[in-house]
Amino acid sequence: MGFAIDWSGALTGQPRIWLLCGLAVTLAITLVAGAIATVLAVILTALRLSPVAPVRGATRALVSLVRNTPLLIQLMVWYFVGFGLLPMGVKAWMTGDHPWAVLPGNVSVCAPEFAASAWGVGLFIGVFLSEELRAGLNAVAPGQREAAASQGLGAWDTLTAILLPQALRNAYQPVVGQYLNLMKLTSITCSIGLAEITYQARHIESFNSHAFEAFAAGTLLYLALGLVLERILTTGRQA
Amino acid sequence: MGLDFTVIWKNWDYFLWGRTFQGEVGGLLLTVLMALAAGCLALALGIAMALAARLGPRPLRLLLTFLADLVRSIPLIFVIFWIYFLVPALFRTPIPGALSVILALAWFSSGAVMYATLAGIEALPRGLREAGLASGLTEGQVFFAILLPQALRNLVPSYVALFASMIKDTSLAFILNVPELTMTASQVNTRAQIYPAEIFLFTAAVYYVLCAGLSWAARGLAHRLRPGRAAA
Repeated sequence: MGFAIDWSGALTGQPRIWLLCGLAVTLAITLVAGAIATVLAVILTALRLSPVAPVRGATRALVSLVRNTPLLIQLMVWYFVGFGLLPMGVKAWMTGDHPWAVLPGNVSVCAPEFAASAWGVGLFIGVFLSEELRAGLNAVAPGQREAAASQGLGAWDTLTAILLPQALRNAYQPVVGQYLNLMKLTSITCSIGLAEITYQARHIESFNSHAFEAFAAGTLLYLALGLVLERILTTGRQA
Repeated sequence: MGLDFTVIWKNWDYFLWGRTFQGEVGGLLLTVLMALAAGCLALALGIAMALAARLGPRPLRLLLTFLADLVRSIPLIFVIFWIYFLVPALFRTPIPGALSVILALAWFSSGAVMYATLAGIEALPRGLREAGLASGLTEGQVFFAILLPQALRNLVPSYVALFASMIKDTSLAFILNVPELTMTASQVNTRAQIYPAEIFLFTAAVYYVLCAGLSWAARGLAHRLRPGRAAA
């Protein structure tokens, strides 16, 4: 294997377009999966606090399943099994033509690859986020819940308006870490054919064998995305 | 949806050891072997890094934490790529996919082992090190004979948890077509076509038993190793 570095192999012409398309898809999947993870984390945290024991037990079982199996296998299950379980009409709609939903590189956000990736990564990180929030909740003074109840707030309002904001402040660093993790884990979605950065870097490697340049470009893109995301999330805290 | 697990029954040996008896180690056996090898390497490397970070000059500590943080801020798949493509370029010899994954996992996790070990040692009373030095032991002897064994009581559970996530991370070997459990399942799925639910649910169950069993063992260990319970 020769080792002359030639950046034009990854940064000009078609390979550059592929990498930029991959970047757009990575950004989109990170945003959508991040939103799903956030919503699921709040729901899972609420279910873990439910007064009904079987609800708590079922939530614990789900958390344990997600934490103790590889994300890759979970993606395979959502993609090969979950998609197949959807009603015919939904499947037909997802695989149909939706010009408004097409990202650069001809990736549709309605397609099964994108949907399974967003849901799979979102659920995976949602579970880990809910664990961080639970740890943060443990550090909230018990009087807070009693005070909220005595003000007449219901269980859901107490959780979302009083307890979770404080839990989030206690667990801010680990929560930011989970969102950064989510961005990195979207790289695994290339296994079910989502054309994000990792997929495109491999594409360039098989197209012109410029492995070093393609992977260096991909690595730098992830590093830059991580720095930007961390900056945004840490500024959000001060606001 | 009716599940038909005949496909698992027909391929159980392939899931467990792939083509090991035809000369190519695979399946669950390869998953466990890769995790064990990477685990031992990461443990040795992480403890050596912790020792160097404690005793070495400050720039060395900064360099070690920088390397540990750098490898954690890129996706693990890319760490695997780098080893797979750079080792042949630098040493002019190809590297097998499984070895690339082992080295990548070891590098990726050694930073976590270093941080855990440092935290475990810093949680010990300061007088331990001073007493050791006053008895005439060198810093290295104090580290291995006094600090590390006592810190291990708190560290073993976090080491076991790291090992469980290492087992899950071996699944990323698919990217180099290494025939471990996930790749094996994928192959059976492609061959059988119509049983993805049975195949992937079974594979998930195998990982679950391994990883949940380890976390369960880690919790038990943490309980047994609690200070005050250990026999003198």
